[in-house]
Amino acid sequence: MGLGGSVGDGPDARGHAGAFARAWAKALAGTSYLPMTHAQLELLLQRLTDRLAEALRTEPLDLRVGHRVGTELVAAHIASAEALGRTVEVIQLRLVRDLDLVADDIDDRMARLLAAIATGYARALRDRTLDEQESIRRAALTARADAERALRASEARFRHQATHDPLTGLPNRTLFGERLAAVLDGPTSGVHRVGLCFLDLDRFKRINDSYGHSIGDRALVAAARRLSRAVEPHLVARLGGDAFVILVERSTGTGDVVAVAEAALAALAEPILVGGHDVAVPASVGIVERRVADTSPDDLMRAAGSTLHWTKLAGGAGWTLYDAERDRREQARQALSAAIPGGLERGEFYLDYQPLTSLQDGSLLGVEALVRWRHPQLGVLGPDNFIGLAEETGLIVPLGAWVLAEACREAVGWTAAVGEPPYVSVNLAVRQVRRPGLVQEVRGLLARTGLPPNRLQLEITESMMMSGTEEAVRVLRALADLGVRIAIDDFGTGYSNLAYLRNLPVTELKVAGEFVRGLRAPEAADERILASLVSLAHALDLTVTAEGVETVGQAERLRAIGCDAGQGWHFGRPAPADHILSRIR
Amino acid sequence: MQRPDWAPETIDVERPSVARMYDYYLGGSHNFAADRAAAQAMMAAVPEAPLMAQANRAFLRRAVQFLTGAGVRQFLDIGSGIPTVGNVHEIAQRHAPDSRVVYVDVDPVAVAHSREILAGNDGATVVQEDFRHPDRILAHPDVRAALDLTRPVAVLIVAVLHFVPDDDRPAELLRALRDALPAGSYLVLSQASDDGRSDAERAEAQRVYQRTDSPLSVRSRAQLTTFFDGFELVEPGVVWVPQWRPETPESAENAERAVFLGGVGRLGG
Repeated sequence: MGLGGSVGDGPDARGHAGAFARAWAKALAGTSYLPMTHAQLELLLQRLTDRLAEALRTEPLDLRVGHRVGTELVAAHIASAEALGRTVEVIQLRLVRDLDLVADDIDDRMARLLAAIATGYARALRDRTLDEQESIRRAALTARADAERALRASEARFRHQATHDPLTGLPNRTLFGERLAAVLDGPTSGVHRVGLCFLDLDRFKRINDSYGHSIGDRALVAAARRLSRAVEPHLVARLGGDAFVILVERSTGTGDVVAVAEAALAALAEPILVGGHDVAVPASVGIVERRVADTSPDDLMRAAGSTLHWTKLAGGAGWTLYDAERDRREQARQALSAAIPGGLERGEFYLDYQPLTSLQDGSLLGVEALVRWRHPQLGVLGPDNFIGLAEETGLIVPLGAWVLAEACREAVGWTAAVGEPPYVSVNLAVRQVRRPGLVQEVRGLLARTGLPPNRLQLEITESMMMSGTEEAVRVLRALADLGVRIAIDDFGTGYSNLAYLRNLPVTELKVAGEFVRGLRAPEAADERILASLVSLAHALDLTVTAEGVETVGQAERLRAIGCDAGQGWHFGRPAPADHILSRIR
Repeated sequence: MQRPDWAPETIDVERPSVARMYDYYLGGSHNFAADRAAAQAMMAAVPEAPLMAQANRAFLRRAVQFLTGAGVRQFLDIGSGIPTVGNVHEIAQRHAPDSRVVYVDVDPVAVAHSREILAGNDGATVVQEDFRHPDRILAHPDVRAALDLTRPVAVLIVAVLHFVPDDDRPAELLRALRDALPAGSYLVLSQASDDGRSDAERAEAQRVYQRTDSPLSVRSRAQLTTFFDGFELVEPGVVWVPQWRPETPESAENAERAVFLGGVGRLGG
């Protein structure tokens, strides 16, 4: 086999090479996606054809050319089993013929070259396949890691949102509750004592009212930041509104928790500068500190809430330590107050009456109705035990209405051997007078029971009279117009404007017992005051009844002064109607 | 579909992905056993499936070449899938190196893969979103950073619409995109059509894709044409994809075997 000239070129090799490349391109059509135009493909194959022809002509045969052609085909994305098959086919069938390649060993050279092309092609395709597999696997791992990270982040975000207050970023009630419950699970938490500071900004509503909610919110955010910094590392939670709670885990005694409360209060002592306003944020704290074993989350929170309330009652801006005895008393009062409606329903209340006796002739002019509660556990309770509570809670309205109705119902049946039966005097609470419908209620009662109006006396307090609004005065006039007697109770204990009395439809003054007690010493100041009071009252056409008359001497003096009637132990203690009335039958 | 922030999402390579099946049709190896099994089942039912994918891919290439020739330098490729051979940025940037391309796909693996391929290419980026949320796509910060919506944009939704059922109101989704585009923008659509198919072939294709995360919604030429509402179709209109501006007359022969219809519309004004 000779060098060079052993493979001869035909007359028009270039043109034939072009024909071959076109045939090759046609053979490849549809074997795989080719990211190029048909012209670009032909150009590429033309170049490869030239290299193959060159290789076949060159001695010795360089098989690396075959490898490179195979590799280049794959690199150009002519990369499929079909593409290789067609390539082998078209080269074997046409290359030698189209390019007029002539040599003794041309079949042998062609076989080796085709083998080299197929080898290079297969290697490149295998590498490419492995690379792509690696790449897509890596992408799947990345995507999975991304998804898991996003999930963890969203779970963490969700958990954070569920357990934190969006305004201040502080833990919320939920998180606080979880932490507290964990701490109180003593045996596992290893904590023995725990403390709570229940903190509330004083009169915070006024900040919202005067600066607007946006300033209010910003003040809350700043206050929250100060608080959590001041009491670190203790947990500060916002329970809502302007209420915060600090959890003092592993307390060693009240001193620890008091120190935390003082740090919190100190942090809020300086006004907060918000939107150009110096916003003062004084706060009240209720402190509870206990053995973990002796308490529950609800107990602790309730106690801390009550204690905070005591601080507020004491004027705020400070702290109060929980007082079990005080709490017990208040709870008892609370329980008693809560039992009033049930007591009314079950008929546990009844009335006693105390005589109002004429100082002139000793006759029974009237009786004052006094309510009693036959409590199933506590026995008989006097009004001192529950009227105050009823007034605080508003239960005085139904209770007072019952007393009024019961007094009228009983009084209508009273008879006297001589003259008028006694009138019945009933105390009215402020709330009863202020509530619309009192006049109608009294008118209805009188109509229903048939009690003559002049046998009902309504007692109101001096302070109610004096602070009397137009409306209250209008109500009293309407009651007086019904023919009902109006008395002013406890007269002389408050600021009394006698001139004002002139314009009111009042029929009687009941002078407070304090003045009567002063009558023991002859010519005492109280006697002179009482004397002028009586003469003034008479000048205004009012009768005077002295309360708290306990001795004959007091009765004598009162009579001498000109007082019209007396009430007190000297004339008779409160007792059921029958006992009193037996005196006049 | 964008999941709620708190909902878990798993990457399940046991479930065929239409993006990776498409890669397999194109001769790629960016696919897993489940993708290949599904693609082979599809090819058993419709032997032309690889041919369809190739023809569609070639249509995409010719369309992008046409668009760069028309002066477009911004591309939004929605449902871009696995960015295998001949993807948009390669074609566009070869003709116009300053072209910017944003790929959008809902498949997290396709997106992760795209991100790897595009690393270092300042003119191309990828965003994980769903065609069904055009508002989110348009508002996405990466889309906003890459594309200037006051200048013409070519929106490519190629081989995607057959995975969007009528219930998802594709016409409204396209309108939302159109309303965000300035005059001189383009819309490129292609999708599988069952015009001229036998009932048996239709049923089998449905059956195969029912197992993937994206069942098929094939449409007629008339239906695809309505999706260009508001756009002026450039010649030759909505045709079998091999017939759209073929490079050689032979390459447009037997065009209906490509199953895909495609077209390019220009937003006038």
